[in-house]
Amino acid sequence: MTLILMVILAIIGGATLSVQAALNGRLGGNVGVFKSAFLTFSVGAVVTSLLIFFFEPNHTVTLMNVPKWQLLGALCGVPYIVIMVVAVQRIGTAVATVAVIFGQLCMSVLIDNFGWLGNEAIHLSGSRISALVCLAIALYFIHSSSKSIAQNAQ
Amino acid sequence: MQILLVLIVILGGMGLSVEAGLLGPLGSQVGELWATLSIFGVGAALTFFLMLFFSPRDSPSFFSQPPLLLVGGILGPIYVVILTVVTPVIGIAMTMIGILAGQVSKSLIIDHYGLFGTTERKIDNKRIIALFFIIAALFFMAQG
Repeated sequence: MTLILMVILAIIGGATLSVQAALNGRLGGNVGVFKSAFLTFSVGAVVTSLLIFFFEPNHTVTLMNVPKWQLLGALCGVPYIVIMVVAVQRIGTAVATVAVIFGQLCMSVLIDNFGWLGNEAIHLSGSRISALVCLAIALYFIHSSSKSIAQNAQ
Repeated sequence: MQILLVLIVILGGMGLSVEAGLLGPLGSQVGELWATLSIFGVGAALTFFLMLFFSPRDSPSFFSQPPLLLVGGILGPIYVVILTVVTPVIGIAMTMIGILAGQVSKSLIIDHYGLFGTTERKIDNKRIIALFFIIAALFFMAQG
């Protein structure tokens, strides 16, 4: 039951992300990508701070006393923005989309399998490999769809 | 050159998973909202410098934009909090696939109705097939 709930939450997260991407794409086109990325992060920080002030319970461990490497999340997320800005014009949206998802999947399967970064290990199994095969097929269709969209746009 | 760029983009994608992998354990130690703040705080600082040094000099002000375009920043925290809550329970890979399912189905809807000022585009069969396989992948992942 929790499993289904969590998967649904993840799907909602993805939907939110793509609404955000659509909005930011337009904003980025008008004011520049870095300016729109800065707006996203700074508004995000303000919203989160407000939520923390009013809703966050006390914790014995704080951001100040966890190991510093645990705070490097944004250093892995921000380069993605820059990379996409540089790469999309040269290799096209279709290839870039597939390459990002491919990288995400490889790394997430590795992190799960070895339990890196303090996560619980979930080992690679027959059904996990079947899932990856399904995703490879899905990626093929995403690629050919983005390619035809790009062609229509030209 | 092309291949090199593709590799760099793959690395970029890997970065996103590492980010999710760092968030889960951090969130269970210091709380989901603090973990989210660590992303947006550091991210705001980094993108501030990118904007300062690399933005086109004559780019228009935020205040000349329609307000609807500026709400992206409010949606961001929702996504990060969800990542923090979900990954410790179902693992990084399944979270990423769930997110992908949400993205593909939502982008189908956005494109179909031309929401948020995107050009309207009829539902695309290839994306529906892709969505079907992503959902199949979710089922396989759920079996462990």
